[in-house]
Amino acid sequence: MDLSKKVFVLGIDGAPETLLAEYVEQGVMPNLKNILSGGYDLVQMDASIPDVSSTSWASFMTGVNPGEHGIYGFMELLPNTYRLTFPNYASVKAPALWDIIGGTSGIKASTLADKFKGRVPNNLRSIVINMPETFPAPALNGVLTSGFVCPDLKKGTYPESAYEYLRSINYIMDIEASNASDKPDAFFDEALLALNKRAEAFLHFMDNERWDLFIGVVTETDRLHHFFFDAARDKTHKYHERFVFFYTRMDDIIGRVFERFMASTNGRGLFMTMSDHGFAPIRKEVYLNRLFVEKGLLTLDPAREYFEQIGAGSKAFVMDPGRIYINFEGRYPGGAVSARDRSSVVNEIKSILIDLKDSDGNAVINRVYDGTELYSGDESARSPDLVAVGNDGFDIKGNIKKPQAFGTSHFRGMHTRHDAHCVMPSGTAPLGRLHIENIASIILERFI
Amino acid sequence: MDHLTALENKSIFIIREAYFRFRNIAMLWSVGKDSTTLLWLVRKAFFGEVPFPIIHIDTTYKFPEMYRFRDEYAKKWGLNLIVGRNEGQVEAGMGPGKGTKLDCCNELKTNALKQIIEKNGFKALLLGIRRDEHGIRAKERVFSPRDENFKWDYENQPAELWDQYKSTAAEDNHFRVHPILHMTELDIWKYMKREKIPLTELYLSKNGKRYRSIGCAPCCSPIESTASNVDEIIAELESTHTSERAGRAQDKEDAYTMQKLRSLGYM
Amino acid sequence: MEERALHIVIVGSVDHGKSTLIGRLFFDSGSLPPEKLAEIKRVCEELGRPLEFAYVMDNLEEERTRGITIDIAHTFFTTPKRKYVIIDAPGHKEFLKNMISGSSQAEAAILLVEITRGIQEQTLRHCYILSLLGIKQVAVTVNKMDLVGYSEAAFLDLKKRIEEVTMKYGITPSYIIPISAMEGENVAKASEKLSWYKGPTVLEALDNFEEMKIEEKGARFPVQDTYEISGQKIVAGRIEAGRLREGQELWVLPGKTKAKVASIKKYLEPDLKEAQTGECVGLILEGVDVKRGDILSETLSPTITRTVHANIFWMIDKDYKLGIPLTFKCATQEARGKIERIRRSFDPASEKEAVTDAVSISQAEVAEVDITLSAEVAIERFSDIPELGRFVLEHDGRPVAGGIII
Repeated sequence: MDLSKKVFVLGIDGAPETLLAEYVEQGVMPNLKNILSGGYDLVQMDASIPDVSSTSWASFMTGVNPGEHGIYGFMELLPNTYRLTFPNYASVKAPALWDIIGGTSGIKASTLADKFKGRVPNNLRSIVINMPETFPAPALNGVLTSGFVCPDLKKGTYPESAYEYLRSINYIMDIEASNASDKPDAFFDEALLALNKRAEAFLHFMDNERWDLFIGVVTETDRLHHFFFDAARDKTHKYHERFVFFYTRMDDIIGRVFERFMASTNGRGLFMTMSDHGFAPIRKEVYLNRLFVEKGLLTLDPAREYFEQIGAGSKAFVMDPGRIYINFEGRYPGGAVSARDRSSVVNEIKSILIDLKDSDGNAVINRVYDGTELYSGDESARSPDLVAVGNDGFDIKGNIKKPQAFGTSHFRGMHTRHDAHCVMPSGTAPLGRLHIENIASIILERFI
Repeated sequence: MDHLTALENKSIFIIREAYFRFRNIAMLWSVGKDSTTLLWLVRKAFFGEVPFPIIHIDTTYKFPEMYRFRDEYAKKWGLNLIVGRNEGQVEAGMGPGKGTKLDCCNELKTNALKQIIEKNGFKALLLGIRRDEHGIRAKERVFSPRDENFKWDYENQPAELWDQYKSTAAEDNHFRVHPILHMTELDIWKYMKREKIPLTELYLSKNGKRYRSIGCAPCCSPIESTASNVDEIIAELESTHTSERAGRAQDKEDAYTMQKLRSLGYM
Repeated sequence: MEERALHIVIVGSVDHGKSTLIGRLFFDSGSLPPEKLAEIKRVCEELGRPLEFAYVMDNLEEERTRGITIDIAHTFFTTPKRKYVIIDAPGHKEFLKNMISGSSQAEAAILLVEITRGIQEQTLRHCYILSLLGIKQVAVTVNKMDLVGYSEAAFLDLKKRIEEVTMKYGITPSYIIPISAMEGENVAKASEKLSWYKGPTVLEALDNFEEMKIEEKGARFPVQDTYEISGQKIVAGRIEAGRLREGQELWVLPGKTKAKVASIKKYLEPDLKEAQTGECVGLILEGVDVKRGDILSETLSPTITRTVHANIFWMIDKDYKLGIPLTFKCATQEARGKIERIRRSFDPASEKEAVTDAVSISQAEVAEVDITLSAEVAIERFSDIPELGRFVLEHDGRPVAGGIII
């Protein structure tokens, strides 16, 4: 058996390249430092647009853009309505890595699958632990347990024997994020406990299953960042030590799985760590729907719920994080913009956003992308018309109930698009800036 | 006395109480299985006659089978049928494709009904709702007072004991009376079978699908089922505990997802 | 198995373990759908807790507040013998009205008392309501026996006190059962830890309860309405006691005239010669004209009177002051009147002495009263013919009290 044709990917949700580099430098992460000094690079990587976990992880697992895999966020509206729905794995339209190498693509197709068709085997086994946006668990060639959002561990785990095992170790699907503000110590405790459970599960499946591709994801980093990213570098912060301690435990786990993996492949397997986006401290939360109301682009009926508030005659609205949808006739029950007016509405929105400044005069929006330039594929018809990406510090929100356009809350960290990371053997990265959609190809190349 | 007979007598007692108390009443007939069962019970209560008007709220979006069924039995049973239509809104093109679903229901159903109640001055409406239909219905009374805005004050309902139903108080604009509140979905089907109550063919399986409840065509979707007669529907209901729960499982998962997303600042 | 479900009401404070007991009953009787049980197990395991049966009810409550479908299996549970309907506890604000509305539909009750807390205010009030409503089949469960190490002495102490209280309020518990709902001791299976107790488990006790039997009594037929159909006057009503036969002679009360049943009518049943208790029928009568509120009776045993001596339970939060007009509703009879005298009134939840010759009645109080009416009514003692021995009082169209004729 060719031991080089084995791949281990450790996903660290929301871990920024810049922070890892600092922690390695400061000695917080000695194991990662060892790995880097042994022929691996820490590379900064671009996340998907929008830089939300569901979209970014879907881009990672399918290796294609949202226009092909169809996941633009954690929420969508049901066709021809303003009613919310929550996309899950059934909404992922492109085959995932484990489908492509496991022979379970079924009718799913993608440009990536086409590219590797016949070049990689179709009988390889994958172990996938805590991967976001994979609920309900598919019947794959291997083992999978879903990550965020997974409302039901049993439905989120395949096969049943894996579920029995996870139950037996009191595996934690997801920690209680609502504890973060009023019970911070309990929150940190639970995050550590969950991290340990993930590590325990990784090591168990590494040892007790036959596999070719292993993807293990830690999501507690993302939770910590949302509520305590201001503690990451501020040594005077009350929770700085606990935050850093969490990263030393993370580093332990990196070291342990690396060592175990290298021992089992005689040092020849492909090992990577990566994140789905970066993080930055929040200066302001920006509620674009409120801005649109102020600018006359949107009317809301507060008696209704969520996006059903959108009033007739509205021109556009925003869903998390910066997805802007034009209220087109024929697409929505209260649609008011005809297709031929698209460019004028687009220009109006763009000029409003480009000019947007906070009270201190800082520019809020980094760039407004047009959906047509970002997305291509069968699912691009459902894409947002525009996506606004904020400058670091300005967290763009789709909340529809805020009374002002700017605000602050108990959240301390925001996703960033440009500061995801990837640790990979030197010389593995393609030329140019690394993008999360590139990783799948790197993995598949290994199985040729 | 057997179970179905006991249920029937309870319903007939309530129907007669409502008719005595108000005289000027009407019954809402959606042409679905529950209100058709209620209509059957009304006919039994009054020895084959129907002494008050039967209202059908016509949104104009009902299934053609429903209109056919309505007209056939309105004639056969000699009903004084009032067809309620919010003409203004129908002409203005209100429909499931225009406003929100809620707007559509509001205009074409609720407001159509309001217009009829106002025009005819009905003091009470008989409705075919059941306690097991929906969570909030578990709290309903048999005689349920409504104010002039149709509001149901469910947190402050009158006591109802020993078949003594509330008299009319000053704030009560009209009453909703629920003669089959105590029946379950399964009771309805068993009773329909025993009494050979006619039903629209929409409930019966065609090409592997049937409707479990019927209303406006654009807003109804059939369930997977091979039950093509009442016996098979009863057998299906007695064993489909899980499929009923499947729909609810979706609600639960959505609620969990919303809570999780909210805790991370989305929504 | 019996098709009809026995309606039971479970009363007792929430913290006495009601949710846990209900969850246990569902679980131990096998009525919990497997996916529901798996879900509860998973939740508990993920939380690192032992299986908590209270989750069955908590889930229901959550479902209710969120307004999503209640599955019928949640309100029904089944033993090999029969189906049961659990009548849910009322919400807090509405406590009394709903408690009474719910309990008035029950044929049997479980009264829950917690071993370490003993008899509390709510226990006393619930006891009295059960008694007032004439619910004779009551099982008292003494819960959380695990907290006292399953001590027989502790149980016997409380049992004595329960017997005193229930006797005072006119209830004879069919069983007083020591249980631990949390641990499942004596709920469905006999407990080894409570081996000193020789009586039935909770499920056995429920299975021993009986549906309300229809006793053979003289016929009573309160006239509900009269209809003119095909030129015939049909007298509609429900037979509340006994049976009616074609050709039978009946007294028409309160006027004490006589009528003869010429025929009995039910739609689609042309040759009906006889009808039984509980049936809604139409009668063609010979001899006298009748109207709603008349009581057709086989005998003259009902009391014809304008004065009603009764125990009443005041349900609303406004006080009654002597002399305030009320409407008296008993079967299909309705008469205006007022409370003439409050012989004594008391709060069953408090240990305070009853007030004799009181001038007002407050919420949740019970009173023995004389009601005077503007017209004669035909009534009987609740213990003889319940349907003519219980009534509701209304004020301005709102039900304010329930009463039992003594």
